[in-house]
Amino acid sequence: MRAVHKRYLREFTLAMSAYVLLILLYGVLMPRTEGMLWRVVLAVLPLLPVVLVIRAIVRVIRDQDELERRIDLEAIAIAAMSTGFGYFSFGFLLNADIGLKIAPASMAIWVMPCLFASYGVAKLLVVRRYRSHE
Amino acid sequence: MNNHVRELRGEQGWSQADLADRLDVSRQTINAIETGKYDPSLPLAFKIAHLFGRPIESIFLPGEE
Repeated sequence: MRAVHKRYLREFTLAMSAYVLLILLYGVLMPRTEGMLWRVVLAVLPLLPVVLVIRAIVRVIRDQDELERRIDLEAIAIAAMSTGFGYFSFGFLLNADIGLKIAPASMAIWVMPCLFASYGVAKLLVVRRYRSHE
Repeated sequence: MNNHVRELRGEQGWSQADLADRLDVSRQTINAIETGKYDPSLPLAFKIAHLFGRPIESIFLPGEE
């Protein structure tokens, strides 16, 4: 593994570990917390490691080689369009009032996981274009 | 675009990983260049030419459009 990817793995793992810990803290403390200020603090805390994940992704994209960067940027473009289109379409279906019941908070929270998941799938597809079958 | 990267690498007795290390790119990138799946940027093409000690136009040739 190249140094740039080792660094990414280290930064990503640390940030995701912090995220998991803070989400557990959120789950345990939120039902017992009444004060508005503390509820905001608990809700916002898990987002800090997510910012670090985004930073790690930006750094690895910036520092990897030109083909790796091209693959990642193509995959991110596809993922952004797919997620946007998916949410846009789902919004139309919700607006049509056809019996779909989704909590607004769930809708918002799932944007980022959908983006990451579609990025992963898109990357698998994009990599195939540059891979030789010799 | 066509290129002679594979032949030149073979003459040096380098593996794709060796060449990748020397150019500070991934082995995947070397493979994609050698098989014509990816055309390198001008700076990388010059780096390759410099490494093999040849003019860039003797390594990279215009392909069929």
